[in-house]
Amino acid sequence: MSGNRVAVVGAGMTKFVRRAQETAKELAWEATHLALESCDMTLDDIDAVIIGTAPDAFDAVHMKSEYLSDGCGGWGKPVIRGYVGGGTGVFAPIQGWYHVASGLFDTVLVVCEEKMSSCQPHPQGAFLTIFDHTTERPLEPNLLWIFALEMNAYMNRYGLDKRDIATVAVKNKRNAADHPAALLGDANITLEDILNTEVLAWPVQRGDVSPVTDGAVALVMSAEHVARRVTNKPVWVEGVGWTLDTAYWTNRDLSYPVYVEEAARMAYKMAGITEPRQQIHIAEPYDPFDYKELHHLEGLMLFDKGEAPRAAADGVTQRDGDLPVCPSGGLLGVGNPIAAAGLMKVAEIFWQLRGEAGARQVPGSPKRGLAQAWGDLMQVGTVIVMGV
Amino acid sequence: MSLLHRIEHPRDALAWEGDMPTLGRYTAGIAGEKFFRAIQEHGQFLGTVCPICEIVYVPPRLYCEQCFEHLDEWIEISPIGWVHTFTLVHLDLDGNPLPEPLPLAFIQLDGADGGLVHFLDEIDPEQIFVGMPVEAVFKDPAERKGSILDIAYFRPV
Repeated sequence: MSGNRVAVVGAGMTKFVRRAQETAKELAWEATHLALESCDMTLDDIDAVIIGTAPDAFDAVHMKSEYLSDGCGGWGKPVIRGYVGGGTGVFAPIQGWYHVASGLFDTVLVVCEEKMSSCQPHPQGAFLTIFDHTTERPLEPNLLWIFALEMNAYMNRYGLDKRDIATVAVKNKRNAADHPAALLGDANITLEDILNTEVLAWPVQRGDVSPVTDGAVALVMSAEHVARRVTNKPVWVEGVGWTLDTAYWTNRDLSYPVYVEEAARMAYKMAGITEPRQQIHIAEPYDPFDYKELHHLEGLMLFDKGEAPRAAADGVTQRDGDLPVCPSGGLLGVGNPIAAAGLMKVAEIFWQLRGEAGARQVPGSPKRGLAQAWGDLMQVGTVIVMGV
Repeated sequence: MSLLHRIEHPRDALAWEGDMPTLGRYTAGIAGEKFFRAIQEHGQFLGTVCPICEIVYVPPRLYCEQCFEHLDEWIEISPIGWVHTFTLVHLDLDGNPLPEPLPLAFIQLDGADGGLVHFLDEIDPEQIFVGMPVEAVFKDPAERKGSILDIAYFRPV
């Protein structure tokens, strides 16, 4: 492990909702205030603030993190925004880690916020311009096209059926029924319910997709000498990794997320993990779509290529399975306020490793977990490994 | 093509236009909702007080940005203040001359630690000065929408 030891010592989040009356700043403040309260800290204890928030267009405010800064506790402090699109929620705590591991700061706040209901008629509109203006935009593509093409590539490569993938949506929406902040938790949802939702762009159906959401999440991260003083249950950051694949999505093998594998290799090396399947006890891979959870589990090398759907069908990834995956309920169940959703996963690992996840607690006292997100132009992987 | 050889007109290169078709829909927020309702319904300014930092926030805020406490002490703020600074706007957003220069000021409200940027009217622009006392003029109640434009302008007291 390079740098000084860094622990997560506090976490807080707002409820994830479809349309918040709160301003984006007020959402950020609520999560940040809760995170500080959770470890009995005040702003006086905070040396710097990392703000993670995805496209400015979502909140319909340019310079969004500067706008958010007072709600994130940034008044009069060093503040930085990290932004790698959908990967931001896991990248922000990586930035938190290196702010502290470098020795520059003792304690930092990491705050991620998204208020997607501000973006009308649909946040998709903001994504239309991510496509190449010369070769792709004249076709009028939207984001779902990529996911539909990618999901189909994955299904065809391994001979998968829609049912093999929809099990993920069922699991995560059921898990989310135990999350007090969840938007789409449903303890009784069935495979048929998912398979009967409308087709958006085949093979993607509405039930395969996480919802547009408003929300905020915050963490407090500290150097070892502070962490040991403020809590008897520090959750250490053991490894971090992030990489970008090519920006040309038509030059990638869409059936396998190389960007996740490379980020995971970086994080595993730092954490001294040589056998991820034995050494990772709980995983929160990024699941904006149900197939992406499977895709990412394979990229994380927690299952062989094409084998994650079998494991899911066999119950391995259930909360009480051998490798609980998205015990929080993930983006499919808790909701997907982009950057905040990624940080929610990190917060979930924090709560799970401390034994504080309540009804969501996985059995067997897990000692090490990881969270992963994905984004930018669909080509960034961000991974954080944490342990107790 | 050398660095000195430039395309001199867009039509010399392939080019096309495209937009990012989104609209912003904003909420005033928990504190903002109360502020604008008071303007709309009562022609009145409200602020929140941080008793720890001794700050009166106008427009009101839900939390103190300095100590991070939740703020739930609300007070009425006078519609009277003074010109902290001002400008006379001569061109519109497209660069066209305005018929008359538009006076715009940052008005520091009495009893508050902040204020509002708004128009000045009922005054000869030549007569505006920093420190000038002014008061808010609200629109007719029937015309108010819960917006910052429910304040028509500020005028000299």
